[in-house]
Amino acid sequence: MASVSGSMKGFYRQKKNTTKSSKKAPANAKSDAPQLVSHADDDYSASEAMLRQFDMNMAYGPCAGMTRAARWERAQKLGLNPPQAIQTLLNSGKVQSESLWDGRI
Amino acid sequence: MGMDSENNNLSRLQCSYASLDEAFEIGKETYRGQQYSHIYFARLHLMRTLLYSLVSQWKPQTPVCTVLGLEEGKECVIVGTLYKHMKLKPCILDEYSKERSAVPLAKPHNFMHDDDYLVLEDESGRVKLGGDLISPSVFVTGIVVALHGKETGAGDFSVLEVLEAGLPPQIEFPLKSREDKYIVLVSGLNVGNSNCNPLQFQLLIDHITGHLGDEKEQSIASQIVHVVIAGNSIDIPRGLTNGQNLASKDLSRIAEPIKELDILLNQIAAGLPLDIMPGPNDPANFSLPQQPLHRCLFPGSSAYNTFRSCTNPHSFELDNIRFLGTSGQNVDDLEKYSDAKDKLEFMERTLRWRHIAPTAPNTLGCYPYTDKDPFFIESCPHVYFVGNQDKYESRVIKGSEGQFVRLISVPKFSESGVAVVVNLRDLECHPLSFGTQFSS
Repeated sequence: MASVSGSMKGFYRQKKNTTKSSKKAPANAKSDAPQLVSHADDDYSASEAMLRQFDMNMAYGPCAGMTRAARWERAQKLGLNPPQAIQTLLNSGKVQSESLWDGRI
Repeated sequence: MGMDSENNNLSRLQCSYASLDEAFEIGKETYRGQQYSHIYFARLHLMRTLLYSLVSQWKPQTPVCTVLGLEEGKECVIVGTLYKHMKLKPCILDEYSKERSAVPLAKPHNFMHDDDYLVLEDESGRVKLGGDLISPSVFVTGIVVALHGKETGAGDFSVLEVLEAGLPPQIEFPLKSREDKYIVLVSGLNVGNSNCNPLQFQLLIDHITGHLGDEKEQSIASQIVHVVIAGNSIDIPRGLTNGQNLASKDLSRIAEPIKELDILLNQIAAGLPLDIMPGPNDPANFSLPQQPLHRCLFPGSSAYNTFRSCTNPHSFELDNIRFLGTSGQNVDDLEKYSDAKDKLEFMERTLRWRHIAPTAPNTLGCYPYTDKDPFFIESCPHVYFVGNQDKYESRVIKGSEGQFVRLISVPKFSESGVAVVVNLRDLECHPLSFGTQFSS
């Protein structure tokens, strides 16, 4: 129960957003501890962006439930000619091996 | 005929055997939580590539488009997977429905209804199929076809013609003049079932191994070169497998049928090659493709190199004649969701659709493959058999490129006492029936 003394404003405690500059590029957001965590601003590199495009490409079939490398192999096996660049990227080992939906659905 | 004239010893004929079951063995597959979208994608892709090549000869002038690319009134050809919406198909969500009495009671053996309709689906979208030329009672979910028609104002696709993949190409039937060699197909032995008469199967074994009859009959038996048992070889009493703790006397009752079967199969394996396939009631995995029954179940028989435990479906070659068979699940499932004049017609349809079990994984349990669909038929068999059926039936079907297939429905032996014998020389087949009733 809220105490009777004190204003209504005190009941709903508000915190001022203390970020210094409000006009920031999304890439810098992680250094400022924003109150809302927006998934749209996940920091990901250009290679991850390319791999996500590969994941979303319908021509290679569903992506959920298999590793990207396995999906590339399947596309190759079925004669769909997936770009070699994707496989090179996956073999380099510095990228996420699971599709973007992994753990999310 | 294999008779050694000097001391009248009959020797059994031989034939070459090659197993083609590798596609059905689940050795390299790993389960990582995937669902069935992958097997449907593999199936659609495989069959669509095939159908596109056929469509160019079937309707050379008509454009081919995807479901999303349909334009109203424009005639075109679309290729996709069929989905049949069935009102009476049991749905787990019905348990949560508040109006349970609104759905008509389904007969347990067939879920068809006049209101069933078909939908064609590809990666881009789905469209309901209309028109009188496509009958939902013939089709089931999971078949990939090409349709020629046009989109109507109502948003349906009005079908003018249907193109199925048709019988696959067949290797040439070896025609050189040969002797009569027979293969025996039997299924539904149901050893351990109280209604099963062990004498009937023993008679069959004695006939095959040449322990019955005079010289003439033995010489006929010496021409039997192979035996295939197509599923449901044992029948463990249901009450023992419902998860309760068993008394020690019941524990031995579970093992009795399989021990009895091993003794019986031992007698066959000692004489000639034997293939045993798992069936719906056998101690094997539930979903297709069923994996071979484990060797430890057959301590006596598996010592022989003539004893082979095989997958279900089972594909093999005998003297370059290709055989393909299942223990019945594919056809039994088709019977629940579609209509045909006899079991052989269901079998013929699976060949023309080039898919052994189109209802898998929708209503028939299936392994969630990620990169292939092993039930796609690449090469047309010469003999196609299905086990555990109600009666023996057989006919030959012909394909447009000269293929011919002997279709055989193998009945349950424990009920009918009938096994099937196929002659490798000309693919003629006849039933072999054993009776143990003494007429009064």
